[in-house]
Amino acid sequence: MSLGYIVRRLLGAIPLLLGISVILFTIIQLAPGGPLDMYAENPSVSPEALAQIAARYGLDQPPPIQYFMWLSAMLTGDWGYSIRTGRPVLGEIVMRLGPTLQLGGLAMLISLLIAVPLGIVSAARRGSRLDSAVTVISFAGISTPVFWLALLLQLLFSVQLGWLPSAGYQSIGDGSFLDRLRYIAMPAAVLSFATIASWSRFIRSGMVDVLNQDYIRTAYAKGRSERGVVAFHALRNAMIPAVTIIAVDFVTIISGAVITETVFAWPGIGRLFMESMNGRDYPMLMGLMMMGSVGIILANIIADLAYASLDPRIRYG
Amino acid sequence: MTFKLTRRATLQGILATATAFTTMRALPGMAQERGGTLRVGLTYEIDTMNTYSTGFLADAQHAVVEGLLAPDQNARYVPVLAKEVPTIENGGIVLSEDGRRMTITYKLHENVTWHDGAPFTSADVKFTWEAVKDPNFIAESKQGTADIDSIDTPDDYTVVCNYNTVTPTFASTLFTFGIMPKHLLEGEDLNTSSYNETPVGTGPFMVTEFARGQYVVLDRNPNYWRTAENGDELPYLDRLIFRMITDSNTLVTQLRSGELDMVVQTPYSQAAQVANIDGLELIRGPLLSWQHLDFNFENPTLSDRTVRHAIAHAINRETLIRAQGGYPEAIKSLVVPIFELYDPETPEFPYDPERSNQLLDEAGYVRGSDGVREKDGNRLSYNFVVQAGRADDENAQQVIIAQLRAIGIEAQADNKTGVAYREARYNGGFDLIYGRWITSADPVYSNFYGTEGTNNGLNYSNPELDEVFVRLENTLDMDERKAAAAEMQRIIAEDMPAIALTTNTAVIAVTTRLQNFIPNPTNMTNFVDTKEWYLES
Repeated sequence: MSLGYIVRRLLGAIPLLLGISVILFTIIQLAPGGPLDMYAENPSVSPEALAQIAARYGLDQPPPIQYFMWLSAMLTGDWGYSIRTGRPVLGEIVMRLGPTLQLGGLAMLISLLIAVPLGIVSAARRGSRLDSAVTVISFAGISTPVFWLALLLQLLFSVQLGWLPSAGYQSIGDGSFLDRLRYIAMPAAVLSFATIASWSRFIRSGMVDVLNQDYIRTAYAKGRSERGVVAFHALRNAMIPAVTIIAVDFVTIISGAVITETVFAWPGIGRLFMESMNGRDYPMLMGLMMMGSVGIILANIIADLAYASLDPRIRYG
Repeated sequence: MTFKLTRRATLQGILATATAFTTMRALPGMAQERGGTLRVGLTYEIDTMNTYSTGFLADAQHAVVEGLLAPDQNARYVPVLAKEVPTIENGGIVLSEDGRRMTITYKLHENVTWHDGAPFTSADVKFTWEAVKDPNFIAESKQGTADIDSIDTPDDYTVVCNYNTVTPTFASTLFTFGIMPKHLLEGEDLNTSSYNETPVGTGPFMVTEFARGQYVVLDRNPNYWRTAENGDELPYLDRLIFRMITDSNTLVTQLRSGELDMVVQTPYSQAAQVANIDGLELIRGPLLSWQHLDFNFENPTLSDRTVRHAIAHAINRETLIRAQGGYPEAIKSLVVPIFELYDPETPEFPYDPERSNQLLDEAGYVRGSDGVREKDGNRLSYNFVVQAGRADDENAQQVIIAQLRAIGIEAQADNKTGVAYREARYNGGFDLIYGRWITSADPVYSNFYGTEGTNNGLNYSNPELDEVFVRLENTLDMDERKAAAAEMQRIIAEDMPAIALTTNTAVIAVTTRLQNFIPNPTNMTNFVDTKEWYLES
């Protein structure tokens, strides 16, 4: 794994990002409606005021010109201004990134801590009652709609028991670690539920594959304990397919916990995306989606590098 | 006892509500209590705290920023920072000799200070006009700025506005939205100023914290300039919190769990659930919006008044209302009944499909083999536009389509969103269009149905009506305005460029502990007058 390889991958991402930006821009333009729609029922917004706003954001130009205006500004590091709030896009995104990283990071952590052991155990004990139970729970997790689970948790913990706040980021005037923990608990639980379900399935099937290999039998034959075989011989190899999924899922958690964030009024990227979508805030949408694309490309590069470190047979040069 | 009064008012609706509250206010032996926090849920994320540039109704903002005048619960203007509402009678408005211009003089209260302690003066009023008028300032609400040629400030507490026209609707724009502090904002770029985060006003509450995407905290202004009639210092509440919760289920959950005390825009679909929560009451307040069916006069059959009248008789408003959850109320005039200018004598075209059929038969529109009428080769078949994706509008559309079919008229849904919808609405890209207008307390009706009206996409022109508009919109004499408004309502009802169908009601969920709260129907929101609200312990 050489530095040259990483540099080449990063350079290769540039044309990819350009292509993505053209597609994203086109899709946003094709979506019905526009940023000035919110004035459709307000007769006191005069045509002159509308024209002024359109000119300020370049909306009076044809779409290809708008794209190049956006691109040339972007190349100089100017992400533009949100039409909805009038504030710089980059600043708004950075502000929302913190809460999203906290929520996504915690959900990742919970998912890893639960999914990995769960997957390993159910693979090692496949066919057992435990394995069946994990399978059933996993399918329940994959098929439970997020908003429904969120609603149930809110009704239980906020309305019935009164233990946790039903939505929000922190108490006004508080914001201590413990206070935030109370707010993050439910959204993090909801967000990790589905990922635990899918990851434990991936890890289980990876494990099952590896445990059927000849070298595992050899290890057993040499007298290693089951625990030793699973931990030292099987785990690393079984993780290779799981790493891809985890890396890509991480980006989705970071850039798109749209439903969870909206239901729990979490002031993160997902909800910003939702609001920007509703308001057809073109510059903000472009900024958010480009950030998501960069994230996915980086996650893929990192996943590829992780393969090499997990599997000595894989070498990039 | 007071609860029962309010609960009954809830059932009785619009005007009863206001009356009940007025009565309640007058009840003796109800000591107003100081202190407490009111937590309000907003269904949207506040974009900016500047009342002139926000794309939403400025709920939180109006508790902070005050204007010279404000609309009350009956949509009539009352003085706030000005000592009285200028009229010709009190000498506040002076017409030029030729009667084509006017000068409006505001006398300002002298004991008013900004939240930072600086005195409020006439210079602030003049500055507000200059700042909003500035083409570099991007704002939605610039109406009225161009009507003023210049502003004189002969002393600190007198503002003289020299208008280049006579406009009775001067109160519904500029200075009512709020006055901005000159000493803080002069030379600032209003598009990026921190004023948009933490505006400094003269109102009963001051912005303590604006956490984007989360909440706005407003704290009591200890030096508020107004006191209650009994001498109490105002406001009574210590704190107002606005939480931004865009998910309507979560909003209801928060009401249920007691994390919120008030939601001013309860989604109709959730209202029934909220009604069952202990400690909350649902108040229905009027809203200045009206739903209407408009006709395109370019269409050869729709330009026939008989067809329009037949359509009017074919529509059953009760069914329309049921299709929208039972919350809107039927109207017959485009002037919503709460307005002073509403004329109850406006002619009505009641639901009577037999009359419709009779009218069309008499006019020679004959049913073809498919049941659709036609005359001289013109079928009564129309494309019918509503804003796509709006469930209430699409339901109403289906009801209307079915009711038209019963009288031999075919209508086909041709729904559009966004720019396409706006284009269709403004440029006549429809035969029938159903939608709503949401207005200020004193809308300029010629915008909608005047020949040159900016919002007239109907290709409708009626010189008789245009004359009435001139009379209505260029006089300050209330009797004359009322007469002209009655005339306008009669012409619009009879000549029927549009059928006024329903008006919406606001469903406000609020804790039974909150007293002195009176719903405000205007675009200045329920928070335009918070100073006397208090919480019963």
